[in-house]
Amino acid sequence: MYRVGVDIGGTFTDLLLVADDGTSFIGKTLTTHGDPSVAVETALREGLETGIVDRAQQGTVVHGTTLVTNALIERKGALTALLTTAGFRDALEIGREHRYELYDLDLEFPRPLVPRYLRFDVPERVAADGAVLEPLDEEYVRGLVAELRDKGVRAVAVCYLNSFRDPAHERRTREIIAEVAPDIRVSVSADVVPEIREFQRTSTTAANVYVQERVAAYLQELQQRLDGLGFSGSFFVMLSSGGIGTPETAARFPVRMLESGPAAGALAAAALGNRAGYPDLLSFDMGGTTAKLCAVENGYPLKAREFEVDRVYRFRKGSGLPIKIPVIDMIEIGAGGGSIARVDALGLLKVGPDSAGAEPGPACYGRGGTGATVTDANLILGYFDPDYFLGGEMKLDVEAARNALGELASRLGMRVEEVAWGIHQIVNENMANAARAHLGERGKDPRELPMYAFGGAGPVHGCHVAELLRLPTLISPMGAGVGSTFGLLAAPLAFDFVRSAYSLLDELDWSFVNGMFDDMCAEGRGILEQSGLAPDEIVYERTADMRYTGQGHEVSVPIPDGVLDASHLEAINGAFERTYEQMYGRTVPDVVVEVINWRVVARGPEQSLDFSTRDTEAGGGKAQKGTRPVYSAGRGKFVETAVYDRYALTPGMTFPGPAIVEERESTLVVTARSRARVDDYLNVVVEFDYEKG
Amino acid sequence: MSKAAIDPVTLEVIWNRLLSVANEQQDALMRTAFSTIVRESQDLACGLFDTQGRMVAQSVSGTPGHINAMATSMGHFLREFPADTLTPGDVLITNDPWQTAGHVNDITITTPIFRRGQLVAFFANTCHAADIGGRILSAEAREVYEEGLRIPIMKLFHAGEPDPILLKVIRANVRLPHEVVSDFYAQSACNDAGGRALIETMDEFGLDSFDPVAEEIISRSEKAVRAAIAELEDGAWEGETWSDGFEEPIYIKTKLEVRGDEIFIDFAGSSPQSHRGINVVMNYTHAYASFAAKAAIYPDVPHNEGSFRPVHVTAPAGSILNANDPAPVAARQTVGHFVPTAVFTALAKALPGKLMAPSADPIWLSVWRGQDPAFNLTVFQVGGTGARPTKDGLSAVGFPSGVAGVPAEVIESLSPLVMRRRELRVDSGGAGTWRGGLGQFTEFANRAHGQWSVNGILDRTRYAAPGIMGGGPGLPGEFILDGGERPNPKAQTHLGGDRSVQLNHPGGGGYGDPMKRDPERVRADVVYGYITPETAARDYGVVVRFTGGDDEKVRLPQQWVIDQTATRELRGTAAS
Repeated sequence: MYRVGVDIGGTFTDLLLVADDGTSFIGKTLTTHGDPSVAVETALREGLETGIVDRAQQGTVVHGTTLVTNALIERKGALTALLTTAGFRDALEIGREHRYELYDLDLEFPRPLVPRYLRFDVPERVAADGAVLEPLDEEYVRGLVAELRDKGVRAVAVCYLNSFRDPAHERRTREIIAEVAPDIRVSVSADVVPEIREFQRTSTTAANVYVQERVAAYLQELQQRLDGLGFSGSFFVMLSSGGIGTPETAARFPVRMLESGPAAGALAAAALGNRAGYPDLLSFDMGGTTAKLCAVENGYPLKAREFEVDRVYRFRKGSGLPIKIPVIDMIEIGAGGGSIARVDALGLLKVGPDSAGAEPGPACYGRGGTGATVTDANLILGYFDPDYFLGGEMKLDVEAARNALGELASRLGMRVEEVAWGIHQIVNENMANAARAHLGERGKDPRELPMYAFGGAGPVHGCHVAELLRLPTLISPMGAGVGSTFGLLAAPLAFDFVRSAYSLLDELDWSFVNGMFDDMCAEGRGILEQSGLAPDEIVYERTADMRYTGQGHEVSVPIPDGVLDASHLEAINGAFERTYEQMYGRTVPDVVVEVINWRVVARGPEQSLDFSTRDTEAGGGKAQKGTRPVYSAGRGKFVETAVYDRYALTPGMTFPGPAIVEERESTLVVTARSRARVDDYLNVVVEFDYEKG
Repeated sequence: MSKAAIDPVTLEVIWNRLLSVANEQQDALMRTAFSTIVRESQDLACGLFDTQGRMVAQSVSGTPGHINAMATSMGHFLREFPADTLTPGDVLITNDPWQTAGHVNDITITTPIFRRGQLVAFFANTCHAADIGGRILSAEAREVYEEGLRIPIMKLFHAGEPDPILLKVIRANVRLPHEVVSDFYAQSACNDAGGRALIETMDEFGLDSFDPVAEEIISRSEKAVRAAIAELEDGAWEGETWSDGFEEPIYIKTKLEVRGDEIFIDFAGSSPQSHRGINVVMNYTHAYASFAAKAAIYPDVPHNEGSFRPVHVTAPAGSILNANDPAPVAARQTVGHFVPTAVFTALAKALPGKLMAPSADPIWLSVWRGQDPAFNLTVFQVGGTGARPTKDGLSAVGFPSGVAGVPAEVIESLSPLVMRRRELRVDSGGAGTWRGGLGQFTEFANRAHGQWSVNGILDRTRYAAPGIMGGGPGLPGEFILDGGERPNPKAQTHLGGDRSVQLNHPGGGGYGDPMKRDPERVRADVVYGYITPETAARDYGVVVRFTGGDDEKVRLPQQWVIDQTATRELRGTAAS
């Protein structure tokens, strides 16, 4: 059986095809924005035509796409209506009532996906304990839906108060809609995200149905194209959580595909890092406009339960649409190769979050950009060879970079080189600070985590960021651009479930809890078996979100397998205390613990990573290409530094820093106080020595 | 550091590190705090001070009242415990309203940080306690003594050892002794962690003393603020605003003078202090006045000792904004939150076309209590903000405070309360070329049938948020029982069985002549139901008609049209 990973990015659609025998093919084609499935077909056809696989064989295609993210940001979804409990149609617009930035009098919030004139009060009411305070007015729903249908509404989100406790009214509403308007797509909140907090639940449900039509049509189109190529086998979609699901599931819950591209990148880091012997690490993916950081534990990226899409204010938390889905826990900051440097009100040098993007791009691209960017600074520092950027595809204009930085230099009274080092240093600090906070919040000590650096700019900045955090090691994989497609193939088949049921830990109704777990496991088993897994291949991971009574934030606690009863209390409480202590450094004695949500991840077996990519043509040629002057911060001047050819490095080689390692997709900057070696997978592994300096 | 001056890159790196430390400490505190007011509404602040007690850096979020009041508290701490009397492991505490954040509920904890035996800095934070005894947060006290336990500036820890007597007294005086004392420990731990990070930074950059960095940040901030103020024309302007008060209205008068590169804000002429707990201490007045100046004139300059210097805030002793001990002050935010609007009304004349219209201003705080089952719940809510010179105000968003609301489902999971309604309040935004933000209609009932009560600290029920530059006022707030009675919105109201209560929030003021609002925007407001067609015609002179049938529930934008002829008539020749 052969396997294929296809990732649609903003510019390129990437493909990685792996045959039974471990031979592989990497394809790259321009993304076709009108109908993205065209590019997928093109790339796949090319792969199949290489002859490395037998087309008659069963294959597996795993697909990642930014389609959902883009549809939400560009507001390209269906005309959508929202049905809410009478009196609450504005939950979507009222939001958290919170100013995410105190001093900016001009701030804005993102436009709700459903405009107020399509949000409707439905007479019905369920209380927090599930009691029906007012029955559902079915006639009202019937009349309203008929009118929505007649006026061209294509999608309806239903979110009633306390439906996570009793979804009967939402389900009945869905039935009525199906009767009255079978063509209208419906999402009910108890299915999409059965969790407390009406704003986040409504926002997620509305987003889900808003993009459903578009996503379903796309997946269907893609399936037809696969059929047209004679593809027989399974077709899966990458999910935000790092699991993969069926197209049917993805079409029902398209919000679960949000950010699946970056998720695949983190998965690749986790899988490849694990293979290299590092199950715990910090994944560091730095591109042109942003850097993404993610902690990996035991070979899996950590997960979060909420995400924001369409942040309207400089990546600021609170300025986007909240989407409650299981998602890889990533922090994204406005720091990339295109980030622009400026002098602020205090006369200090700042970098980002504004970015020159790809167009016009950094000044040194020579496309009319004049802002001093991180890439310009890196060029001046000698990190890049102006004639070997993107493997020589693009010549860099050193003079333009000097001019861009010169203006800042004269305002700051510094030399251009000092400003360049300043920009490099400050953008690194920004990322290190974000990483420190992100890891700290998750109870992790950076000094124990190796960094896995990828993305176009990741290896350029990785060593310096790692040193700021005093990380022990940095791993730089071959071919920084392959990341996402590799991650698609590394992901096991997996799906996440959640049920909200608040209770004090010592007052739990165990039969209710067991029932919930059984339901979720059965649902997971159903989906995974349908995807071709045998029952004994499926693993269930159970957790609960718990906190001390009176707190507002929960921690995720592992729950033992099997039928639960009061005898498990002590073990569960102990697990909570251990988790809490790891995160916050102390426990709180004599306070009762409460449980908010129950979760299950149903997961298939690990995927084999036992293949080599043809791209990694190792050996041949001299490892050291030569030397060039590279800025040394410690010595405050340019120092002649060894430059290595990544493609000539072979396993077992070692070399000391400072050094530059060049490959087409990126440049690895190895810092002075370190030693690099090449491992069996052609990763360059840099070990830092903090004693020397 | 060998160089005499610190270069702008190194300074930026160190500065960024310090901000990051303050923010991390704040986040950790928020996640571990027991007080709902801390974790839901971010009612806390963390800051870093030099050895002279001058504030250098503060956490970014939090609430302006805390951040800036904490800055002034450090002087009081050092007067009581001069730096040379402090030893490693000492931790100082106070909640004295006149020395910190204006009511006893806010606890400030300060820790001197030592490196190699040398005092190098202080870390401090202010946090809303889970309880502080006395009356539960209310405006009804007549003296500060009724409002809870007052802790003078004391050592909470002596060289690492907690003060057993102080803790014993506190435990005996608060309703939730465990949570309260646990939070003290968390606050102390948060300072320690900040201190450790500062020392690491000093080690990394080879700094023997933190003071030169502090001095550099402070002097650069001062310079930047002075430069921004110097851009303004010299002159003096007056402004005013009204609060409902407790029994009688409270008047706030502002005189703002720009002289060279300094600003003088004086509140002389404002009402005398009240007999009820709505009085504001000078610290808090200063905090919100300087917040207003920063937001209006130099939003990009960090708040610290240097940026405070060019801004002078005064109010006569014994007045509502500078109340004398032992005046009751528990609900000080209800008047204090008017201070930015009071400053803006004066400053708007110095900055024409730059400032927003007045907002709903004070957050609405209500404490709900009942028996059988027993519950006690504090709810924060907000109205609309004032319209901006180039855009509409924000609906259901607080200003000046940065609180977050509590979801209906959370309220209902913690109490037998049922929220019957929480929606935007149509027609509540002040009319204008730019419309004020809308308030909210909210309604509470109780499923339990016993006695229950609500203790509101609500304002702007008598005095609407005015419009500016020709804009109209927002709707005032309403506190109404189901029978139509309107009890005192700042007193406890006892309710029986199946009563229900409406808290309808004020809207923000409008900006500019509503007759000049783009008719298409007026039409959109009707389509979205932000205003009624009647208001569109009356206030905006735009006649918008629905072309569909009366019984249609779904009213799409294309079904609404502007009656051009009728609009021209109402708007006169000015309309095109």
